Amino acid sequence: MKAMIIKELRLIGKDRRSFIFLLLMPIIFIVMFGSVFNQTDGSSITLRTIDQDQSAASKALIGQMQSIMDVKQLPADNLNEQLDKIKQGQFSSMLVIPSGFENSMKEGQAANIKLYQDPASQTETAPIQAILGSISSQYREQKLTTMLMANGESKAQAEAALASPIHIENVSASADHFNMIDQVVPGMTVMFVFFIMITMARRFFEEKKTGLLSRIRTTRIKPLHYLIGMWFPFVLTVIAQCMILFAFGHLVYGLRLGDIAALSAVVLCLSIAGTGIGLGLSFLVPGEGAAMVITQIISMGGAMLGGLWVPSYLLPQTVQTVGHFLPQFWAQHSLQDIIAHGAHLSDIWGSALILLTFGLAGLTIALIRLPGFLRSAAN
Amino acid sequence: MMAQVMINPQDTYTHAAPNNDYMLEVNELKKTYAKKQALENVTFSLKPGTSFGFLGPNGAGKSTTMKILTGIVKADSGSAKLFGKDVTREPDAVSKFIGYVPQDITLYEKLSAYDNLEFFGEAYGVSGKELKQRIHDVLTRTGLLERSKDIVSTFSGGMKRRINIAAALLHRPKLLILDEPTVGIDPQSRNHIFELIRELNREGVTIIYSTHYMEEVEALCDEVAIMDQGSIKAMGPLGDLLEQYGQNSIYLEVPGLTELPQDPDVTSFRKEGSGWLLETERSAAVMQRLLRQASQHAWDVKQLEVVRPSLESVFLKVTGTALRD
Repeated sequence: MKAMIIKELRLIGKDRRSFIFLLLMPIIFIVMFGSVFNQTDGSSITLRTIDQDQSAASKALIGQMQSIMDVKQLPADNLNEQLDKIKQGQFSSMLVIPSGFENSMKEGQAANIKLYQDPASQTETAPIQAILGSISSQYREQKLTTMLMANGESKAQAEAALASPIHIENVSASADHFNMIDQVVPGMTVMFVFFIMITMARRFFEEKKTGLLSRIRTTRIKPLHYLIGMWFPFVLTVIAQCMILFAFGHLVYGLRLGDIAALSAVVLCLSIAGTGIGLGLSFLVPGEGAAMVITQIISMGGAMLGGLWVPSYLLPQTVQTVGHFLPQFWAQHSLQDIIAHGAHLSDIWGSALILLTFGLAGLTIALIRLPGFLRSAAN
Repeated sequence: MMAQVMINPQDTYTHAAPNNDYMLEVNELKKTYAKKQALENVTFSLKPGTSFGFLGPNGAGKSTTMKILTGIVKADSGSAKLFGKDVTREPDAVSKFIGYVPQDITLYEKLSAYDNLEFFGEAYGVSGKELKQRIHDVLTRTGLLERSKDIVSTFSGGMKRRINIAAALLHRPKLLILDEPTVGIDPQSRNHIFELIRELNREGVTIIYSTHYMEEVEALCDEVAIMDQGSIKAMGPLGDLLEQYGQNSIYLEVPGLTELPQDPDVTSFRKEGSGWLLETERSAAVMQRLLRQASQHAWDVKQLEVVRPSLESVFLKVTGTALRD
């Protein structure tokens, strides 16, 4: 068995295609997603504004908005041109403070401001509407305070009267801060772990096709030792793959790795799951082509449904439910628990056990199919 | 016109009852693949040190017989025993005695020759310093010591074939089974392989050599089994086969001769190259009559000679077909 393991590790080491699939591709994806989401983290919401009033009140409103979001002021005389740009989809919304804004406020009338928006980009403009709603409420509170004080209430009494009966306190559930890199690095790692199945299927079919498997059967290597000798190097390969990708995330993006013992346990179980399924697949499918197609379906479909591309809670409820039947979900779930929520071994053992079950199911299929596979190689 | 002499293909040749002198005893092996009878009552026995040739066309059953002996394929019925151990029931006890060289080049092309040999050596249970020594030994024997660290994919076909054989020698087998080991190689590598096989045989290694090249059997083997359609049609020492089945032939080349005259002593004849090959047990008498005919009809005789019996003629006689048909 030792001879099998050493030989297989040497072959994997010389396989450039596997290097591309298992390491280069995930690193490219991490860099790509990492760049996109890192920019998003640092930026604020942008609102284009045309101030047609050019008054102290309009400038005060803009100043207040600037403290919350990025306000880009546009020349007051080209409203139509800017509206055309919204229609063309160049940006999604624009706020216009019309002439007479200050006068309306002074006269105690409703001072209208207009938020033009692209109906196709409601998700994008929703936060802007919420912010503007909040600013509007602040103005209303200010007005009511002034009125109460005019009626003889003290400022403290007026503020107490306007205070909300509900106070929402933001408390972070974990000690660590969650950012998109915490999603991307484990997500891409888990997704590309399952690409090992292509390499595994290719190796088994090569052994069969070239007659090497038949020749090995004339030696003293027993069928079970052959199976384990072929499988174990792939477990080691996936462990190395995960180590390199997490180290890359840590060194380049400052990814926090959390409890290393827990992380190692999940990586071990993930490698058993990925390679176990790969083993079962190699012994089930009729040829290398079928293995390629099924691997892509398992890897990409599992990534989408298991919450590797976007957090699972953002997916529709049905998809979330389906995701619970996939190893990718449990791998990502437990990895994020360790990385973002400070989970330890005692917190992730359930997910780890589910991953092991997937791996053992694949191994069982391989063991059942092994005699048939050996017979087909001989003929 | 004369008719060719045909041997009934159903007449299978079986050889020798079990005897303690035999290292390998094969009895009535049968094997069917998807309703096609691949082997039919294959029986033979080998004494230690024999160089035994399996001669037959593709699909004759040579490879299936070898795969059964090496434990790759299970026979439907019958038995094969090496040193008294059944190859199916006691594969571990048998595998250490057998070295198998498959028909295909079964090496890891991305690994070096040394790495390949190290793998197969360990797979046969040899390790440590002893394995290193044996790798050095087989590389020297195959003339590839200088190339040991090179990747196999950079080797020529002949060099790959030599490493393919070397991989089967590391555990010093008593029986070396070679399945068409010289397919598609250059004459230099072929000679190298022949010399290696002769050397191993001289050292006491029993050889089973499968081929469809008669000249290889004639050059390497002292016993031959002619296989066709899953059964052994004839078997025995090469000289005995030639004597039993071979006939002297006469080769006659006369430009423009489209039909041969009747001759009661010619048992069969066929076109061969630009002339005719006539088989007969009374070559002198036939030769005399042909010369007379040549004189009478003023033939322009280019060639007229007696051809000694060949394995090809034996094969033709026992199977009814030429080997390369």
